[in-house]
Amino acid sequence: MSADDPMLTSHQRRGADLPPVVVYEEVRKLFGDFVALDGVSIQVNQGEVMCLIGPSGSGKSTLLRCTNALEVVSSGRVIFEGKPLPSNETEARKIRQRMGMVFQNFELFPHKSTLDNVAIGPITVLGMKEGDARARAMKLLDKVGLTDKAGSFPSSLSGGQQQRVAIARALAMEPDVMLFDEPTSALDPETIGEVLNVMKQLAEEGMTMIVVTHEMTFARRVANWVVVFDHGKVVEQGPPEQIFDAPTCDRTRDFLGHLGWNG
Amino acid sequence: MELDFSPLLDSWGYLLGGLGITVLLAVLTVLCSIVLGMALSIGRIYGSAWLRIPIVFYIDTQRAIPVFVVLVWIYFAVPILTGWNFHPFWAALVALTLNASAYAAEIVRAGIESIRPGQVRAGLALGMSRAQIVRQVLLPQALVRMLPSFGSLLTHTIKDTAIAAVIAVPELMKRAETVVGQSYRPIEVFTTIMFVYFIILYPGSRLIERLYQRVAHLGRS
Ligand SMILES: Nc1ncnc2c1ncn2[C@@H]1O[C@H](COP(=O)(O)OP(=O)(O)O)[C@@H](O)[C@H]1O
Ligand SMILES: [Mg+2]
Repeated sequence: MSADDPMLTSHQRRGADLPPVVVYEEVRKLFGDFVALDGVSIQVNQGEVMCLIGPSGSGKSTLLRCTNALEVVSSGRVIFEGKPLPSNETEARKIRQRMGMVFQNFELFPHKSTLDNVAIGPITVLGMKEGDARARAMKLLDKVGLTDKAGSFPSSLSGGQQQRVAIARALAMEPDVMLFDEPTSALDPETIGEVLNVMKQLAEEGMTMIVVTHEMTFARRVANWVVVFDHGKVVEQGPPEQIFDAPTCDRTRDFLGHLGWNG
Repeated sequence: MELDFSPLLDSWGYLLGGLGITVLLAVLTVLCSIVLGMALSIGRIYGSAWLRIPIVFYIDTQRAIPVFVVLVWIYFAVPILTGWNFHPFWAALVALTLNASAYAAEIVRAGIESIRPGQVRAGLALGMSRAQIVRQVLLPQALVRMLPSFGSLLTHTIKDTAIAAVIAVPELMKRAETVVGQSYRPIEVFTTIMFVYFIILYPGSRLIERLYQRVAHLGRS
């Protein structure tokens, strides 16, 4: 069953029969008196690819950071696998181990080889033996098609290659959910495809994914659920067919129009 | 005026030994300062106010007091106050380290703070602790970025070691004075010593710059 099976997405939301992986309940986040998130309530189901779209500054990155407790919500709750996120740092660290995160600027560690970038999580955080961690890292580099770059340093890789390594690094922790924050926004157009293909493959394997993106074609074809943000609020959510082909909200139409989306 | 370089020829081994002590003193000073400077800067960045305030006070005072005064104070005043007598070499090492570590602390702090917050976020997102992030993500990159600054700290320190002559550490300058005392040839001896400092320090700085160019990518996130 492929991720963009229309039968699945239009009639029943994917994973609806399973307990949700992440639930946001009335999440508000303030920076000083600036309201970055203004009462966000959404849910992410098991095996679902949820795309967050919306203008820059609308709070998408902030929501991702609240998901793995890099930011603490001002009010409301984020519930992960049935439990609210812990407020103490040691507990939060355990939760972060089960969520992978991929950044717009890759954030690979420049002083470590590609292989060691992927192995560092299992070694430092899980206490895995170096040999075992490297073997796991090598399998993941194979998955993202970069075994030949195992010994290279990040500075010698293209943007697309660096981002694939970053995905492998996050997967090395065997997370239950992957968070992507504009993973292709810093890439040259010719390397965007290779990163999106890896993400599409992950989606097909059933990984639960929350993806902030401006790649509307990807969102249309791979997402099971699309959430449109504006000014810290959810203005519309639904299956991609609804959002892209029949948006019910003017703001969604405006935003898609700005991006040059015409169906 | 006649120049006579023969005293230098007669005592070149003696002077070379002095140069060895100069380099040893400077290298030990810089190594100790890097270790102490790392501890101070980590305390300053991540510590509580109780730790931060005395560290900032220490760094600011050390940068405001001439290292010469610190040296003389340690060698002449500390024994009277405490009853401990320092061997001149150790007194010089302590004085130079106290001073240089204040600069090293600022170099390390600038190095750590120059690394963009995304690197910390990447470490946190993997589930790493703050301490693991400092050790495995920030310090290695910061050390690479600090290489040129540590190079100039070493240069400064080699120059500063000359003041240890005043407490009779047998380093290059002190031994040059001794040779002059015996030969009455200050122009020849001191001019040569000037050249020796230059010949060591000038290519040394170039070398560190070269080395840095080769490894700079390891600190560029
Ligand atoms: N740490 C912060 N301190 C202050 N303001 C912040 C901080 N992080 C984000 N913001 C503000 O919150 C708003 C939402 O930011 P962000 O979540 O990054 O938006 P998006 O990812 O949708 O572009 C922006 O106006 C941004 O300036
Ligand atoms: Mg953003």
